[in-house]
Amino acid sequence: MSWADFVNSFFSANFLYVVIRVSVPLLLASLSAYMASLTGVGNIAVEGIMLMSCLMAVLGSYWTQSAALGLLIALATGIGMALMIYMFSMSLGAQPLLVGIALNTFASSFTVFLLYQFTNSKGSSGTLPSKVLPTVDIPLIKDIPFLGEIVSGHYLLTYVTVILLILFYIMLYKTPMGMQMKACGLNEQAARSVGINVTKMKLLSMLFSGLTAAIGGAYMTMGYASIFSKDMVAGRGWIGIAAQGIAGINYVALLVVTMIFSVFQAITNVFLLYDLPSELINTIPYVGVLLGVIFYSVAATKKHRQV
Amino acid sequence: MHFPPEYKQRKERRLLGDYILELNQIDKVYGNGVVANRDINISFRKGEIHSIVGENGAGKSTLMKIIFGIEQPSSGTMKYKGREVRFSGSQEAINAGIGMVHQHFMLIPSYTVADSIILGNEPRKMKIFTDYKTAVKRTQELSDQYQFDIDVTKKISELSVGEKQKVEILKTLYRNAEIIILDEPTSVLTPQETELLFQQLTHFKETGHTILFISHKLNEVKRISDRVTIMRNGVDKGTYDADKISLDEMARLIVGREVVEDYSHLRKEVSEKKNILEVKDISLEQNGVQILDKVSFAVKSGEILGIAGVQGNGQSELVRCITGLIDYGTGTTAVDGKDITYLNIYDKRKSGLAYIPEDRMEDGTAGAASITDNMISTFYEREDLNKGPFLLLNNVQNEVEMLIDKFSVKTKNAKQRIDSLSGGNIQKVVVAREYRTEPKCLIAEQPVHGIDIGSAEFIHTQLIELRNQGAGILLVSADINEVINLCDRILVMYEGKIAGCFDDPSKFDEKELGLYMLGVKKQEEEQGGVHCEQV
Repeated sequence: MSWADFVNSFFSANFLYVVIRVSVPLLLASLSAYMASLTGVGNIAVEGIMLMSCLMAVLGSYWTQSAALGLLIALATGIGMALMIYMFSMSLGAQPLLVGIALNTFASSFTVFLLYQFTNSKGSSGTLPSKVLPTVDIPLIKDIPFLGEIVSGHYLLTYVTVILLILFYIMLYKTPMGMQMKACGLNEQAARSVGINVTKMKLLSMLFSGLTAAIGGAYMTMGYASIFSKDMVAGRGWIGIAAQGIAGINYVALLVVTMIFSVFQAITNVFLLYDLPSELINTIPYVGVLLGVIFYSVAATKKHRQV
Repeated sequence: MHFPPEYKQRKERRLLGDYILELNQIDKVYGNGVVANRDINISFRKGEIHSIVGENGAGKSTLMKIIFGIEQPSSGTMKYKGREVRFSGSQEAINAGIGMVHQHFMLIPSYTVADSIILGNEPRKMKIFTDYKTAVKRTQELSDQYQFDIDVTKKISELSVGEKQKVEILKTLYRNAEIIILDEPTSVLTPQETELLFQQLTHFKETGHTILFISHKLNEVKRISDRVTIMRNGVDKGTYDADKISLDEMARLIVGREVVEDYSHLRKEVSEKKNILEVKDISLEQNGVQILDKVSFAVKSGEILGIAGVQGNGQSELVRCITGLIDYGTGTTAVDGKDITYLNIYDKRKSGLAYIPEDRMEDGTAGAASITDNMISTFYEREDLNKGPFLLLNNVQNEVEMLIDKFSVKTKNAKQRIDSLSGGNIQKVVVAREYRTEPKCLIAEQPVHGIDIGSAEFIHTQLIELRNQGAGILLVSADINEVINLCDRILVMYEGKIAGCFDDPSKFDEKELGLYMLGVKKQEEEQGGVHCEQV
């Protein structure tokens, strides 16, 4: 392939299609981290929740032989895990950070344990006939050249994610609930003093956090791939947490940062076509995140010094 | 103490309609046995400005928290508009029409004024969406109606302290508060802002609001209120008409205490007198408020200089400036003739400064560390305790046991966590440690605050012993009696300035000092202030 082909591959409809495809789990991971930190609870178990949901989507759809029920089981798993963080930290006084670490390490091993129980394999669920969710062709739009190629024909959960992004935006910026949730994270005392039910807001935010991470997990095994393999989330949860750390409470910034990370992830796919060591190429998204965090920190420090 | 009986309003029963809020025999005992309020009986009239005055720790804030539903009384009843009520949370108090402006603002910097006001009670459209248009319109109307002159689309972070307070008041008005509680509202304001606040409070009175004004600034209280309730040690000392009680009477009721200790026989004359600690022109400004204004004084060897004052008049900031815990502010400090202004804390201590901090749990000790570790933390580098890079633990142990013995710290062994000791014993460890550095100058900040009488007396004796050995001691305390009993000279601080200076221990007078502490009296510079500073 020539140099021109290489450059062109970044401006093709296919590349943008890939960007969207890889962005979905990252966006959901970012949302999960964002929702949890919104009320000041924090969730560093995004990775673990996604991983458990990945497996439960596979197992659930295999047991019920229904993609929809499999999805529901995955969602229940994710929400349950997020609520565990809430319960252990809010009611029982544990550090949310420690509960998060426990859940992450637990998920990493327990998924392998379950996998072995049901497939006799410690690597992947390839032998298990699980269901996947359908792809959706958007009528009319799919026939538009270029645009149709990019936005049509994605998995169902991609469009669910887009709808969720819009709903969350409306909630955060247009409803009293969003305003109150934000207030809880920004100044809990102040929120309490005007009679906001802080406990309820924290519960809700963890519920949203679990839900989004679970959808992210289900997407990984019911669309992005059709089987579960060990540690397949591969740091996406952490990338989401990094994006949230950079964006802070700014929702739009969260989406922009996540999309930038998604582009890095998509670039990997292009480079893999070339004769380069794949191990090196696979580090691109992570190096991208690292650079992003460094640039952000330097900029923030500079700004802080000026003030 | 006796007062003309006409001042004290007997607990006369009036018709219910007269009072909007009545407190009957309110007691508040915390779980740890601390009695915050005892037998409080106060009735508030509709449309009055009613001040609650008293020193820090007199139980004012606890009482307000009870009224606002944040705390529940241990016993006693509360009648609101003639009906007995019990608020189990602030939301219930808010719904009933009680609003509170907290001393520390409950605001979110990134929210706009309108958002801050409506938070928790948002106007809605189509049931689920916030109606921002109505929010801005209604809050702006409210602000204009009371002549608050605030642009509600501004962010909280862009506002001045005074404006933030206005927002807090608007929050209560937006929720249709009939009673507005203001917790030390003027402590953060500039004189101009205070003036404006008073105008507004008078206006609220005219519109039928009842104002509960908490303060320890008597001048303000006398000026603004219709009636005053005085609190001391958790007990209400009666309610008085503001125009019928003089500042003197108020001050006396607030600070009156019984004398317990007398240490004069322990004092020895110290022959050589020189300036040990010299403080020149220390000024400090925070958020536009002048906290310290050109404070100068000197502590001589072999004397205890007391700084008296109601908390919050700049004493703790002064100490923090001298010890280097905060490094902004202007002015210079010298110990034994050596300028230590720009030294770090370690070098300041090396120059002969020692410090007993006010907060023994936060600043004085490391709670999770052992008594030994806390005890040697100021002199662990001493030669006889070290060999090369290692601590000689036997020597350390002997040293610590000697100090535990000398300062009669009650403990099982020196390896115990320090936070398992009682307050008095923790403080003894702190005092022992500072004492052991053989300081030229010791700054003792509320050294016996909140500890038992026995330990307090012991610590006082140690301070005098240190003084007799020739050290200069700066004692900062809000307790008049402590200052009177211990000190050779006394300075009184009020609003960041030295308001009075007293040189002769035999003429120290509790009531006189009280008047200075509360800002009722002030020495002019030519009379005493300057004299004190240029020793």
